[in-house]
Amino acid sequence: MVSNACFGLLPAVPYCAADDAACNGIAVSAKNLSAAASAESPIAFSEATFEIPCGCRTALIGANGSGKSTLLRVLAGLTPAASGDVTVLGSQPKLGRSRIAYLAQKPKFNTDVPLRLRRLVQTGTYAHHGWFEECEHGDVAVDRALERLGLLELANRSVHSLSGGQLQRGLLARATVQGAEVLLLDEPFAALDQSSREIVEAFLFNPENNFTVVMATHDPADSQRFDRILELKNGRLATMHACAGHAHRHA
Amino acid sequence: MPTAMLNLIFAPLSEDFFLRALVAILLCGVSAACLGTYIVVRRMAFISTALTHSILPGIVAAALLGFSLYAGALVAALLTAAGVAWISGRKGNSEDSAIGVMLSVMFALGIALMSVGHAWRDFTGLLFGSIVSVGMADLGLIALTSFIVLLVLRALHKELELASFDEEYAQLIGAKPSVLRMVLLVLIALAAVASVRLVGALLTTALFVIPSATGIRLGKSLAQAMSWSALFAAVGGISGLYLSYYISGVPSGAAIVLCCATPYFLVRILK
Repeated sequence: MVSNACFGLLPAVPYCAADDAACNGIAVSAKNLSAAASAESPIAFSEATFEIPCGCRTALIGANGSGKSTLLRVLAGLTPAASGDVTVLGSQPKLGRSRIAYLAQKPKFNTDVPLRLRRLVQTGTYAHHGWFEECEHGDVAVDRALERLGLLELANRSVHSLSGGQLQRGLLARATVQGAEVLLLDEPFAALDQSSREIVEAFLFNPENNFTVVMATHDPADSQRFDRILELKNGRLATMHACAGHAHRHA
Repeated sequence: MPTAMLNLIFAPLSEDFFLRALVAILLCGVSAACLGTYIVVRRMAFISTALTHSILPGIVAAALLGFSLYAGALVAALLTAAGVAWISGRKGNSEDSAIGVMLSVMFALGIALMSVGHAWRDFTGLLFGSIVSVGMADLGLIALTSFIVLLVLRALHKELELASFDEEYAQLIGAKPSVLRMVLLVLIALAAVASVRLVGALLTTALFVIPSATGIRLGKSLAQAMSWSALFAAVGGISGLYLSYYISGVPSGAAIVLCCATPYFLVRILK
């Protein structure tokens, strides 16, 4: 009680400067972009030029090692681009952007840290607060996100006892709580069983959710549902079809 | 019979040095256990060992030159942390071996300084801990350090928890995990310097690791694990002091470590 009162006095210092660049309807735009997985590895793709409008669901396809993960990490700001220009929501990718969520193919969690699912989802509110601020008041949003992804009864379970699919849904719930406008998903369906997959698909393709999705995938069946498909092949990127389904899905 | 038991418990409390040591071990134990929860889950036990051992040359050099022992210890611990970061920052050097190098270099330096100063006898308390040596000034410093450690842990709890569990997400939202790691290293150095009088440079790691390794098996969240760790540290510390008081010749450091380790093995067997 005393310590809570004391910390109420501390100012909440944001992690980064506010990120409110206007994006003029284009969520992601890249020009002559090239990148490598790390400083030591060879260039994964080069001269990639593409645009993704806001609200567009985009599939990113290509063989293993074609650079799908690298492209997603560049957009998230986790890996620097080797050359070229790229903007996400109107500014260059960098760390500390609350409007972007990235889900790695295999999350690298520390399994030694005891953590409940509710707490994991609650960490999504941190991006909008900052140092020295408690985030307990995000509880309503956390419950709503858990419910949307069918996780409410698992809320008090340990994160480490969840299946891969439940965990993936938990991470999507965290992105919802974060209020991310752009979701960068690296093969989210790889670990999912049928029921988890249905919940995630219903969530991602729900027209009420107006976020932009860029999703790496291997499954050709997935590509039917997306508005736009980007293919990485032999170090080049091609746009397979533009937002064809986009307009009529929202009609 | 109960009166005899009560006497055993209350008799040492009339001695000033024992009371000081009791307050000191409660402060050190609780703050080290809370900090230790992060050390255990982040697998930083080895670097905390390096920091606690490197205190030795710092103290000996400060004593020989006539500076404050605590300042010398703190500088040596921070130098070790910086040295590990510097060596492991170069290509082909793992942090693990960097820690091994810094630990042995600093400890060897301490031993060399002790023999040069012909001061072996003065420093055995620093190696193994000595409850009689805790003075009022030491107590004040221990209280201040423990307060700082607990305050920082409380203020940065949500960031430290997130960065320990999911470093990449912390990085993504801008909650600088590398800065948080540095903060933890400085806190470890501070807490180690505070504990050295009680448990000695050789055994200070035990205060960080043993109660927390016990608590982490019982807590369902990091905060719960910390509470359990603090409880085990307090109980282990107090019983260790009594043990060292009644069995003459057993240094307080060894007694405290043995008493902290008992619940660890019990929990290990039962759970």
